[in-house]
Amino acid sequence: MVKSTYQPSPSVLQPLPPGWTEHKAPTGHTYYYNADTKESTYKRPGVAPPPPASAPPLNPHEQQLRAAPDCPQINLSDRPSRTPFMAQYGQRKANSTVAIPGCEPWILVYTKYGRRFAYNPAKNASYWRIPEKLMPAILELDQARIREKAEGRAPADQQQTEPGDNAEKPATPAAEQPDEAAHDYDSSEYEEVEVTDDEDAEDGQGEDGNARKRQRTEESPANDGPAEFTEADIAAQLAAMNADYGDIEMGEGGEDWEEGDEGLPLSDEDARELFKDLLNDFNINPYSPWEKLIEEGKVFDDARYAVLPTTKARKEVWEEWSRAKIQELKERRAKEEKKDPRIPYMAFLQEKATPKLYWPEFRRKYKKEDPMKDPKLSDKDREKWYREHINRLKLPQSTLKADLKKLLESVPLSALNNQTMASHLPPQVLADIRYISLDPKIRDPFVEAYVQGLGAPPEAGEAAEQEDDAAKKARDDRRKWEKALEERERAVAEEKRRQEKRVQYERGRLRDEERELERAMHVGKRGLQSQLVGEKGEAS
Amino acid sequence: MPAIRPASKRKAPPDGFSDIEEDLLIFGNKMKDAQNTPTDNIPKHQAQWPIFQIAHQRSRYVYELYYEKEAISRQLYEWLLKNGYADAMLIAKWKKQGYEKLCCLRCIQTKETNFNSTCVCRVPRAQMKEDQDVQCVSCGCRGCASTD
Ligand SMILES: [Zn+2]
Ligand SMILES: [Zn+2]
Repeated sequence: MVKSTYQPSPSVLQPLPPGWTEHKAPTGHTYYYNADTKESTYKRPGVAPPPPASAPPLNPHEQQLRAAPDCPQINLSDRPSRTPFMAQYGQRKANSTVAIPGCEPWILVYTKYGRRFAYNPAKNASYWRIPEKLMPAILELDQARIREKAEGRAPADQQQTEPGDNAEKPATPAAEQPDEAAHDYDSSEYEEVEVTDDEDAEDGQGEDGNARKRQRTEESPANDGPAEFTEADIAAQLAAMNADYGDIEMGEGGEDWEEGDEGLPLSDEDARELFKDLLNDFNINPYSPWEKLIEEGKVFDDARYAVLPTTKARKEVWEEWSRAKIQELKERRAKEEKKDPRIPYMAFLQEKATPKLYWPEFRRKYKKEDPMKDPKLSDKDREKWYREHINRLKLPQSTLKADLKKLLESVPLSALNNQTMASHLPPQVLADIRYISLDPKIRDPFVEAYVQGLGAPPEAGEAAEQEDDAAKKARDDRRKWEKALEERERAVAEEKRRQEKRVQYERGRLRDEERELERAMHVGKRGLQSQLVGEKGEAS
Repeated sequence: MPAIRPASKRKAPPDGFSDIEEDLLIFGNKMKDAQNTPTDNIPKHQAQWPIFQIAHQRSRYVYELYYEKEAISRQLYEWLLKNGYADAMLIAKWKKQGYEKLCCLRCIQTKETNFNSTCVCRVPRAQMKEDQDVQCVSCGCRGCASTD
């Protein structure tokens, strides 16, 4: 349990871990590069601190053995709910966080992509790979959730739902859950580790005390819905898991564990991209001031808000994002206007045309305005559209609305979708006379409501021909970034799998021990069941 | 802080106005709220603070859109200044070194103050005592030195 998630503060300059070198960016920022992994980061990479003298390094087996009985209990009986760690991966509601019981202030964050990572708000550290010391507690959470699904009751992420019977541990006074006195939930081991790992842990936790409390209370147990898991489902899942672990070479479970293997922190770039994703997903207007984002506060509850450590960092990324976004919108608009000269003319008609003026009067009055002298349009067309527009203004509003709806429906999803900004509708809409017939005060909310009801833009390929270069490039960039993330995830998953093998192996060993113990204690199935029933009552 | 010209008396805004119209409206509403808030139980010198702050924020908003994000055209920027959406004098200061964060024009006037010097909020935090809490009288600024 001394695998550290410790990150040295930048002011205390420790030697860089092997492979890392320090560089200066043209902007003057210092950054670090790892030639082996091609990783770069602004955060000074840390080395694992030397283990405290009082606790000599243990080999992985011993670590696991020592760890397991102290961690929030893993029930090692053979009930079907003993589901390995990955089973629940992606099953939680997107963009939610879960406090990890017994491992405060650590929380588990689920992104909308179904990924999850561990986050320590006290140190602003995020890890795709779950730090080892959290694994037993998270395993516990996953088990609890599966069981909740199976039993069709509301999840209780923050409750202890595991009936433990580790009689060999001295029971701690469990004030909140007296029924579970047998379930020792002593986290002193962690605190000890925290302190030895990281001298400033105490400070950090002190400062963070309130924030942590808030986080935990705000945490509303998201309802995962009615029971969809039957005992048979769980059994099947278990069987699949067992098949997965069939290749475990017992006895060699932890040999490939390396000292100082700390997990993969979210790189600076990943964190920035996740934050930008958040801004995009909430359809934040890039023209709006930063204060508005903060005052509205609607992004606060999203897990991605916390991937950047400080408000300053967030504002910086927001600035970068809004600048790029505005540029993108400007370019797109310029291109559209270049493409279709009708767009500025239609907008002009909407603003100036009036039934009080006949076409010749109108033309004379505005002859100096750009849309009236654009050589790409013929005067004949201008006249035709003017008359048509004036005539349409006499139609009842319901007709105009129906026409507009028809127009919107004619646009493919690739050009008009729920990502479309109201101020940047596609050219085929803007150039159509049906678009300008309604008063913008009525039209704009109508269009907005329509756009909100649309689906997401289709995946690449389906609509490739219709896209212009800029959009294509943006998509390519995004794909590149997502691919990089995927690759990392694969590496992470691989690492996780190795770790699970170790956990599995150790659990097997512990299970044997427990069986012995069970036999010795004469705890029958009955006893376990009655415990579970009592707890059920408590949780519901 | 020039007053915003009523829509009926001004020329139609240049292109791009629709991109920022909504946010300007929000600023406008905040300003109205601030102006209509009764100031009976507030010390007299503090009554104007919220108004100064909103005016500052709105000027900053326009300034950043034009100078930092290049989000609006020169025509639109000038139109906004002309119609009172931003304070051209204050923005002129922001462009000068040392005044990048200046809160308001009053705080750099030396004449009207008691000490014949600029406002206390202009003093860099580094030159202050540890936890000296500063708030200027004219606009409620808590420090606007460029180095803060
Ligand atoms: Zn000031
Ligand atoms: Zn001031």
